[in-house]
Amino acid sequence: MNTGAGASRSLAFAAAGVIGLLLAPVVVVVVISFSADSFIVFPPSGWSLRWYERLLSHRPLMAGLQLSATVAAFVAVLSLILGLPAALALARGNFPGREALRAFFLAPLLLPTLVLGLALLLAFQPFGLIATLPGLVLAHLTVTLPFVVRMMATNFATLPDDLEAAAATLGAPPLRVFFRVTLPLAAPGLAASGALAFLLSFDETVISLFVSGPRASTLPVEMVRYVEGRTDPMIAALSTVLVCGTLAVAVAVERMIGLTRAVGR
Amino acid sequence: MEQSLAARDHCGQRPLKQPSLALMAHLVLTGLTKRYGQTVAVASLDLAVERGESVALLGPSGCGKTTTLRMLAGLIAPDAGRVTVADQDLTQVPTHKRDMGYVFQSYALFPHLDVAANVAFGLAERGIARSERDRRAREALALVRLAGFEGRRPRELSGGQQQRVALARALVLRPQVLLLDESLSNLDARLRESMRHEIREIQRNLAITTLFVTHDQTEALTMCDRIAVMNRGRIEQIGTAREIYDTPATRFVAGFVGRINTIPLARDATGLNAGGIAIRAHGVPDGPVDLFLRPQLVALAARSEPAGDANRLEGVAARTVFVGDRSEVLVDTAAGRLVVELAPGAPAPADGAEIALLWAPETGRVFAREDA
Repeated sequence: MNTGAGASRSLAFAAAGVIGLLLAPVVVVVVISFSADSFIVFPPSGWSLRWYERLLSHRPLMAGLQLSATVAAFVAVLSLILGLPAALALARGNFPGREALRAFFLAPLLLPTLVLGLALLLAFQPFGLIATLPGLVLAHLTVTLPFVVRMMATNFATLPDDLEAAAATLGAPPLRVFFRVTLPLAAPGLAASGALAFLLSFDETVISLFVSGPRASTLPVEMVRYVEGRTDPMIAALSTVLVCGTLAVAVAVERMIGLTRAVGR
Repeated sequence: MEQSLAARDHCGQRPLKQPSLALMAHLVLTGLTKRYGQTVAVASLDLAVERGESVALLGPSGCGKTTTLRMLAGLIAPDAGRVTVADQDLTQVPTHKRDMGYVFQSYALFPHLDVAANVAFGLAERGIARSERDRRAREALALVRLAGFEGRRPRELSGGQQQRVALARALVLRPQVLLLDESLSNLDARLRESMRHEIREIQRNLAITTLFVTHDQTEALTMCDRIAVMNRGRIEQIGTAREIYDTPATRFVAGFVGRINTIPLARDATGLNAGGIAIRAHGVPDGPVDLFLRPQLVALAARSEPAGDANRLEGVAARTVFVGDRSEVLVDTAAGRLVVELAPGAPAPADGAEIALLWAPETGRVFAREDA
């Protein structure tokens, strides 16, 4: 028992070490964001909020932020709407070619995003979709849909047995079964899938680089452009804002699911 | 209720597959078949259940009884055969239009709804007004003695309470047919016993045509008017508990329902013998056979006692086992070890006592030996 406790303690230390290693750069970024220096220096020689103020008045980055948020919102909603029937079919359907379809839906996960980005650029060009909101949303969907379909299929597959059958025996036609039983029970999973889609889209850089343009570029693209030209702590300030935003979404989802679980199950 | 009792007695007497009965019966399954690849889960099953009658589908796990029940409810599509209720062919009718109450083994209560909403679920589907729904849900909950539990969530209830909510949820719709799938198997022994009687009582009072799937013979014997013993997708025998117990139609039924001794028999020039001792029996089929003998139909006797017309097998009492409501004596004979029930009040033979076993030729049943 002692050796067990010792082992688990050293394991805890190792885990803490790894987490520390992973988080250290983030901490550095957060510290630098409050710097008063004109260049990225660590540790900063003075403290200020000037880079946050500068960020707010930086038009390209603010426009990128707005575009990214808009794109991510569309992507999240569309991922759910498009992914839901696919996930349901994969989880419940018993039709020929189901496995092939599953593999097909997950295929984009296996492609390097660089390849995907180039392919999308070539495909979108003739349709004038480059650097447009619909183009960006479509491009991001290729990344988020496989994740969302997979998550939701698992979600549907793990619903308790016989609940839908029970609803049917009680006189509920299939669509009513879906809305009265399946959907409420799957809701927490759907919320999580939506949030994941939002974050994936918001964070997407490589594909966005290909399908963005001067007319419309997302926040990560603007950030890459900015960093190419300058190295001042403003980008650290922006990063800190993004970290906080992401955390907020994650916590919100966790709360929501935790809450629904507590109420519902 | 008198009517349903009369109907029960009536059909206990009659051979089953007569078309005249099928025309009259409330729930009729004809040639119901389900295959999964090469395996036949249910093989051309025929069954007729009278209005208000309770029939058990009794069999070991994997015998196709749950598949049969699911086909009845429309949850599984049969490969062949028909399901009719009150002369109406339901084979192609989807589950939600069948008007059959189904109590699942897992209860399948909706975790996101409270008890009242669970029970009222089907009423809402029928477009019944909220106040009426609440009233009827309360009534149904009172019927299963769960008044006051309306606001609870399923996860806050014990297994027995969940089971009763599931029952109330099915009964509140006054379905034409009630289907119970191993509904008591998740409960502990004591609860199971009281639920048996409760469900039986409710079923009788409401006179609901009921099909009850179980692998527990006590459940089948106590809860149902008739029992259909299933094995390998077929009904081996259907009849009242008494008929099934006293005159099993097949080797499987004899071995599955109740305790029984199996004695391998051999043939010689004069007839049958068990371990060299001549045995007389009725209804002996051709080929190798075994004798099936209920422990309570064998009498313990002194070696000196005359056998008369009875079969006689000498043995040595190995051990007497007290099983609570009776005692059983294990007796080693030339035909192997047999279990004999001690008559109430009779003294147990001493271990090692030399005794004789007596039984009338007509009490045993003889079936062809199965090549296992």
